[in-house]
Amino acid sequence: MAEFPSLLEFADDIYTCNRTRCGFCREECPVYRVKRLETYSSRGRMLVARGLMEGILEPSVEVQDLMDECLMCGYCEARCALNNMDVFSTVRQELREAGFASPRHERTSAKILDEGTLFARPTPFRRVGTVPLYLGCAYQSKPHEVKKIVSVLEKVGIDPLVSDEVCCSYIVGAIGFKDEFGEAQARFRQVYGPHLEGEILTVCPTCTATLRDEYGLKVKNAVVAVAERIQEMDLKPLNKRVTYHDPCHLGRMLGVVQEPRQILEALGIELVEMEHHGIFSTCCGGGGGVLDVDRDLAIEVSKNRIRDAAAVGVDTIVTACPTCQPTLLRGAGRVANELDMFVDVLDLWELLDEALES
Amino acid sequence: MTDQDKVEAALAELQGFLGDRATDGMLHRMAYSRDWSPRHKQMTDLPDIVVIPQDTAEVVQIVQAALQYELPLIPFAGGTGMGGGVVAWKGGIMIETKGMNRVLEIDPENMSVTVQAGITIWELNEYLAPFGLWLPHQPESKRACTIGASIGCDNDSTFGVRYGKILDCLTNAVVVTGHGEAVRVGHRKASFSSTGYNLMHLLVASEGTLGVVTEATLRVVTLPKTREVRGWVFPTLIDGAQALERILASGLSVESAHLNCRQRLHFYTHAYRENYGKEPEIPDWAESILFLSFAGDDDVVDFGLGKARAILEREYRAELVREQEIVEGYWDSKHRLAFIPFKQKWPDSQRQKKFGSADVGVPFGRLEEMYHAFIEIAARHGQQILGMTVYNESPNKVSPSISFAIFVDDSTEETVQKFYWYVREMSLKAVELEGTMSTYIGDGDRLGGFNEREHGLSYQYMKKVKGLFDPKNIMNPGKKFESRWIEP
Repeated sequence: MAEFPSLLEFADDIYTCNRTRCGFCREECPVYRVKRLETYSSRGRMLVARGLMEGILEPSVEVQDLMDECLMCGYCEARCALNNMDVFSTVRQELREAGFASPRHERTSAKILDEGTLFARPTPFRRVGTVPLYLGCAYQSKPHEVKKIVSVLEKVGIDPLVSDEVCCSYIVGAIGFKDEFGEAQARFRQVYGPHLEGEILTVCPTCTATLRDEYGLKVKNAVVAVAERIQEMDLKPLNKRVTYHDPCHLGRMLGVVQEPRQILEALGIELVEMEHHGIFSTCCGGGGGVLDVDRDLAIEVSKNRIRDAAAVGVDTIVTACPTCQPTLLRGAGRVANELDMFVDVLDLWELLDEALES
Repeated sequence: MTDQDKVEAALAELQGFLGDRATDGMLHRMAYSRDWSPRHKQMTDLPDIVVIPQDTAEVVQIVQAALQYELPLIPFAGGTGMGGGVVAWKGGIMIETKGMNRVLEIDPENMSVTVQAGITIWELNEYLAPFGLWLPHQPESKRACTIGASIGCDNDSTFGVRYGKILDCLTNAVVVTGHGEAVRVGHRKASFSSTGYNLMHLLVASEGTLGVVTEATLRVVTLPKTREVRGWVFPTLIDGAQALERILASGLSVESAHLNCRQRLHFYTHAYRENYGKEPEIPDWAESILFLSFAGDDDVVDFGLGKARAILEREYRAELVREQEIVEGYWDSKHRLAFIPFKQKWPDSQRQKKFGSADVGVPFGRLEEMYHAFIEIAARHGQQILGMTVYNESPNKVSPSISFAIFVDDSTEETVQKFYWYVREMSLKAVELEGTMSTYIGDGDRLGGFNEREHGLSYQYMKKVKGLFDPKNIMNPGKKFESRWIEP
């Protein structure tokens, strides 16, 4: 009994799920959509969690692989009042402590702790301004995109201040590396110290959710800030018909669902909704560190999201996340022959920059 | 060969053609160890092997392997059953059928669709919607429940009073029998057939004991343009049932008709109080609530509602539920499924307590009698009542399929056993009242053998039918003819 003692804290949730089996979380779980086995759905993982809690299952590489193949996208929690994600995070932490962690995750964690960034960045972007803007390491690795974001913010009347920053280290926490995440947080607070008291503007949805939920900071995603000002702007109408992919952290976890749609409307863009959207959007495939440990699975998930877009008859997806865009583009390339079309994936900032050119 | 040797040999053979779609990994076995049936919270029934075939041909090979090694085969679908129909309490090979989820043919001209049986009802209806069609067989588990599961369990449908259940939609099926043969049964796309024996009917409610259903052809219908749902309260329970009969006799086409007892009504008023912070204007004398829906063209729906209202309120002293939010809340839980499990504002959210049902059927003149027996039997077994809902499942008839629900304490084996004693006594009472022990859950692992008390000599013929389809008893053994909860 109690191979995984910290799971006992969630025993009520685990047993409630195990004995109920409503299956609301299952069909649209992006990993289940690919694998079609109960084991990979949230309710299947909850049975595995019970197996670990009661000692029916031993920690093993197989269990570790299963848990690593969760995108931590939160779809199951949107469909259910149980704390599924906390259970899975706890299992990941316990597995790590029992000596079961992916070597790739170990490398990722070490890289972030050593270098302060997950992604290589040519020259860190800095700007003198008045409103603290935290770009995060994904955007810091994309100087071209950053230029557009800053240009858009300037045009809507925001004077961003980009100072020294290190990775928010979301992924270190998500993969269950609890101590390392604590260490990374301390370093973040040290480096970003001057701006911790006031409101921080952010662009990456994952950073936004992490700084709010894990660091307890006051943050505002720049999409919200732009939406607040968009009606006052002189915009060049863009003649496009698109669908919008809600990034999990931006839509489901931060509740920023209407703002990107208001922006698209202001840009004169026709929006066609995919079946799964808003808080019930589905992951692009880039969540939870799955890209690191099972690239094929991540691509299959992204292909399904592209199929979702094609199913509503559009050839362009707009999103607002530095992880979703490249992940979906990868899926779009892989599924183009099957669909006989290439579904392009654009960043919302790119469109804003184009509309504000004048 | 020992049992373990058989499992290992079968796994090797299965992996030979399924590859990693056949596994004995403990974590997969664990993930298939439960359904929604009441049992001790730590109870686990582990299959030996889990396989996920993608078509009929692979199922044929799986059955042949099971035959060779004499291993049980359990078809698994939604996993939402409440009778233990998919628990592998005799071990064996769990066939995950949801890998077979393709639409094989859509034929809008004939309003017919042929699918692999592992497609969920929700998924199928999303596929049909652009054609202006839908499958009206709509169990509340439709988000997870598959076509194969509906055939296997003969589960309830929200719209049974207009369209019937799965059998009223099913025109053809492919089943892989216990001989390891794929057999087509039914009448292709025709609605009926009077040639031969209608073997297709045997599959409905067979719970995988005759074979694995792999494909189905279904007659689908036109999506209605509009739908309206209303609720009325009645001074007695039987008034609600008789008023429904009167409405149907008037010639109106009712789309759904669910009658709830006073306890059930109180859950909806409780939710209303919690959500809106005020008292609903439900009269104290209300003993039942009847929810009706009408669907079709706007003018026809308007007429139907008006006519129904006139009948109910003038002839039966019924009162319209003024708080439409109560009705919408009900509809969210029954049809739209627009709620978050365990977050509902009524006490049966299952967060604290699980519920279980005796799903008996009685003729409609015996409803009141069965309801009083429910109160008495539940009290005698120390069970806390959740309430009664009467679904009507035959087109244009008052045709009770009843959920007599109670809260189940699943903290110990003894308290779970008490639930099954309650089911046993309710089942006997239903038979005494010229009814049946089960109308939508099925025998599962609870009523087998005991159900001979309902069927008499015909039970022996059922055993012969079983032997004809499954001579080695490999198809979901331990179900229908055997119980682990209720002694015969």
